[in-house]
Amino acid sequence: MAAEPRWGSGGGAAALLLLLLVAAASICHAASNFLPVSDAHRSAALELFAPVDGSFGSLEETSEALQSFDILGIERRTNVRGSTCSSAVEVLGSSSSPVKDVFYALKVSSLLKCDVRQSQLEAIASRLKSVPSDASSLNDFYYSIGGLVLIKNQIPVVDVLLEDADKVFQAIKALSQSDGRWRYSSDNPVSSTYAAGMALETLAGVISLASNEIGQSRIDAVKNDILKLFDSIEKYDDGTFYFDEKVDGVGPLATTSSVVQGLTAFASTASGRVKLPEDNILGLTKYFLSIGIPGDAKEFFNQVNSLSCLENSRVSVPLILALPATVVSLTNKDKLKVRVTTALGSRSPPLKVKLVRAFISGSKDASVIENQELIFDSEGAFHILDLLPTSIDVGKYTFVFEIVLQDSEDAKVYVTGGQTKVPVYISAIIKIENAEISVLDSDLGSVDTQKKLNLGKEDDVSLAANHLQKLRLSFQLSTPHGHAFKPHQAILKLKHEKAEHIFLVGNSGKKFQVILDFLGLVEKFFYLSGRYDIQLSIGDAVMENSFCQDLGHVELDLPEAPEKAPRPAAQPDDPFSKYGPKAEISHIFRAPEKRPSENLSLAFLALTLLPFLGFLVGLLKLGVNLKNFPSAPVPAMFAILFHVGIGSILALYALFWLKLDLFTTLKALGLLGVFVMFVGHRILSHLASTSSKLKSA
Amino acid sequence: MARSPLILVALISLIPLLCHSFSPETPTGRRILVLVDDLAVKSSQSLYFKSLSSRGYELDFKLADDPKIALQRYGQYLYDGLVLFCPTVERFGGSIDQAAILDFVDSGHDLIIAADVQSSDLIREIATECGADFDEDPAAMVIDHINYAVSENEGDHTVIASDNLIKSDVILGSSKIEAPVLFQGIGHSLNPANSLVFKVLSASPATYSANPKSKLSSPPALTGSAISLVSVMQARNNARILISGSLSMFSNRFFRSGVQKAQSSTKHEKSGNEQFLTEISKWVFHERGHLKAVNVKHHKVGEEDEPAVYRIKDDLEYSVEIYEWSGSSWEPYVADDVQVQFYMMSPYVLKTLTSDKKGVYSTSFKVPDVYGVFQFKVEYEKLGYTTLSLSKQIPVRPFKHNEYERFIPAAYPYYGAAFSMMVGFFLFSFVHLYSK
Repeated sequence: MAAEPRWGSGGGAAALLLLLLVAAASICHAASNFLPVSDAHRSAALELFAPVDGSFGSLEETSEALQSFDILGIERRTNVRGSTCSSAVEVLGSSSSPVKDVFYALKVSSLLKCDVRQSQLEAIASRLKSVPSDASSLNDFYYSIGGLVLIKNQIPVVDVLLEDADKVFQAIKALSQSDGRWRYSSDNPVSSTYAAGMALETLAGVISLASNEIGQSRIDAVKNDILKLFDSIEKYDDGTFYFDEKVDGVGPLATTSSVVQGLTAFASTASGRVKLPEDNILGLTKYFLSIGIPGDAKEFFNQVNSLSCLENSRVSVPLILALPATVVSLTNKDKLKVRVTTALGSRSPPLKVKLVRAFISGSKDASVIENQELIFDSEGAFHILDLLPTSIDVGKYTFVFEIVLQDSEDAKVYVTGGQTKVPVYISAIIKIENAEISVLDSDLGSVDTQKKLNLGKEDDVSLAANHLQKLRLSFQLSTPHGHAFKPHQAILKLKHEKAEHIFLVGNSGKKFQVILDFLGLVEKFFYLSGRYDIQLSIGDAVMENSFCQDLGHVELDLPEAPEKAPRPAAQPDDPFSKYGPKAEISHIFRAPEKRPSENLSLAFLALTLLPFLGFLVGLLKLGVNLKNFPSAPVPAMFAILFHVGIGSILALYALFWLKLDLFTTLKALGLLGVFVMFVGHRILSHLASTSSKLKSA
Repeated sequence: MARSPLILVALISLIPLLCHSFSPETPTGRRILVLVDDLAVKSSQSLYFKSLSSRGYELDFKLADDPKIALQRYGQYLYDGLVLFCPTVERFGGSIDQAAILDFVDSGHDLIIAADVQSSDLIREIATECGADFDEDPAAMVIDHINYAVSENEGDHTVIASDNLIKSDVILGSSKIEAPVLFQGIGHSLNPANSLVFKVLSASPATYSANPKSKLSSPPALTGSAISLVSVMQARNNARILISGSLSMFSNRFFRSGVQKAQSSTKHEKSGNEQFLTEISKWVFHERGHLKAVNVKHHKVGEEDEPAVYRIKDDLEYSVEIYEWSGSSWEPYVADDVQVQFYMMSPYVLKTLTSDKKGVYSTSFKVPDVYGVFQFKVEYEKLGYTTLSLSKQIPVRPFKHNEYERFIPAAYPYYGAAFSMMVGFFLFSFVHLYSK
């Protein structure tokens, strides 16, 4: 409430002004830069509200698209008038269409200036006028009153004035809650911030439609409700304000947008000003700007429409101070530009921008510049800080600006938010000098090897050291103004294939130096000898020539690791190496046994047959004969059967070799054996008896 | 009264429709729970959500501390995917806690985690369980003074333009992401013990993770290419997880913003974020890289039917059909690195299958001369694809006694000796008995 006296007529005490300054400074406690609506918004609007088949969809969507285009000053590229108007007229012609549809149809027809007959409008007006008298829900009030206001603005001839405006006003007011929120209907106990915005807009409509003026006491009561509603406003850290809805399904953007629309509508119709803290108005504007470009058509409309309401309202028009670029290069001799516009990017009234002070962010030091007025460049509508004083070197600064309106009348219309803090980065190319790397002998400190480095360009040194030596890297950094510069990132990295070690490079004044005493580091290095790649990264947000450079390598010869030395942590392996096809495996079959060649076997076959041939030849030589063959028929028959039996047994053996199994063979052999034994016995006993007869004869 | 049992039956038959889990038959129509700490995220990140809902996902936005949220009811999961866009939440509302989320993943559901500066311990712990360790300093951010995105309004080089993307078509889609991806947030390192998690977007060698507002007093915990900006993990049950250190990389602002890398003159009209995150969400929600194998067949060469047992040294043919889910249908999967193993304790044969480009993979080989119970195994693991693990058991027997070779030429002398002996014996029996 400290900001109130701004609008208050009397008082104006210095103490209050001080309070106001404190309040204003607290808004922009966190320095941030909010950019007004720009061309990016316009191109996004064309993308989001792209008509499909010559229409934007429902009448509600159409009205939102058209309104957004009008606010952003975009020409409608596609002609949607014909089809949209005809569907709007159709809705207006039907006496059964819901009030909500009628409202949007009226809105669309007024935006597109459709030809709607006056008689039709009169019929609609009389229908809408009958709604509020027996309406119980806020939606009915909202759409019917809203429709009547639209008709009034479109064709003032039509009689839309409410006879019982006071009663309607009362009926809507009856839905309000003690905390400034509203209920949707009398039988719904849930109170909602979104509904409060709707109710305020409806009340504004009732006031403008009233045939008799609404009592000032009633209006004051609503103003009081608004103040209570603003007690529930919520705040982000960056100084933006918004309303949150406790009821599910309504986002903070829609809620805030509803409140802003209601507030501005009410403020512009109700007599007398609505007194609100100016930081709230500016905070709400910044909230809408902080969203950037919403990706949803409805949200885009809410954002743009709310900003437009704020800009055109009687409450107060917020002015946004923004820097198109907060990174200023000393090397390129960039100029610091400031632009002051309204939230929608339209020009500001004549004003002056003052740089109150600038200081290094995060430090409590005195400011580097104080009270400097920026020069207005009317061509680009910029305020330019022409020359950065030499006291400003590279670094992160916070600039504090103040808007001074030239016309004191404007001060009643615009809110500037007092001082605006903006973070500014002043960057430049940093001079790097005297860079060298050397290997020192530990005990004497004498230089073993020394190499000059060309930092920021290319280097490839190769060094060798053992654990009794030291590695020293040194260089100097200075700003263009010749001061010492301490970069945020000054990191030396030694990379072994199994481990990586990081060291910060410390400084004293301009000189940066790091000495690695390997004797103390052997344990940290896991006793790993071998090649270490050296990488130096110097970087800072304000250093334009930041670099990350491989300097070369050092070959380290470290002692053997003792048994209990820690091992380096495993390095994550490359994901690709884990997968991928494996090497094919084919089975190695057992080699077949080595065999002699077929000819050799045949030769040996012939050899094995030789004794048989010898046997045959021998028999012939001996002159064998069959004279002993029995001549009597019975013994001859037995002799023949005996030899047939022996032949069969031999044939059975051959069969056994070729195909028969053991069981069949043994069975057959049993039978044959008995037979051969019988006939053998007969023939052998016959032969024995004949030979004994011969001997005895 | 007779109608009430009918209604009951109708209700019971509806129960299967209430649980939407990724099933190979009907993988569409999936519900995703989006937890945010501020409903403003719904609008500031709306382009990302729009790309999800336009692909047929039903998004259910809830505040992370909403006391009514639940992942499952009556033992059935209500959602198929979870998006945690609530970096600062200290405790979830309702019945959700860290264990519930891990159970959700363990039952095969997908998860997207976006952390940010000042992330809560809860979100960090969930990420740690997935193998990603965020920088422990709560104020640390990833800073890169070389590969930052040039911007007139961001001077602290925490908006990083990275194009160190994983080279994998299945994760990032086949069309190349030309523009660098914008990232602003915290970095993480991957747990080397976890072999399932890998970097998708990694930092450049000049990157480090530190608090940009204060001076460095000790070497930063994370530096260089070890920093992962965005990682993914595919669990053994094929649940997929995306871990990002930045919530703002999903935002409309970064989606729309143009990008120019410092120390480079190419200016891209639009950052690669939209393409990158859309493509990777397709992967996370199984629209790509989800394989199924059907129709595993094997038989002897020249035959059609599958035998109950193979003999050693048989020639056999093996074939399997592999398809990939494309978001709407199963398409033939084409690759040249699918391998089959003929396995008993260790692979005896490992052979790459040849593809006919219509999804059928086949090969033929000779059964080894070792008998026992073998398996045909297809263990297909490829970065970004679901794992295929098929095995089919088949015994292999040795030769029967009558299946060996007969009448070997080397044995002719033995045959000759035996038979000449037999014939000689036969003749001799005549000579001995009847010669005079």
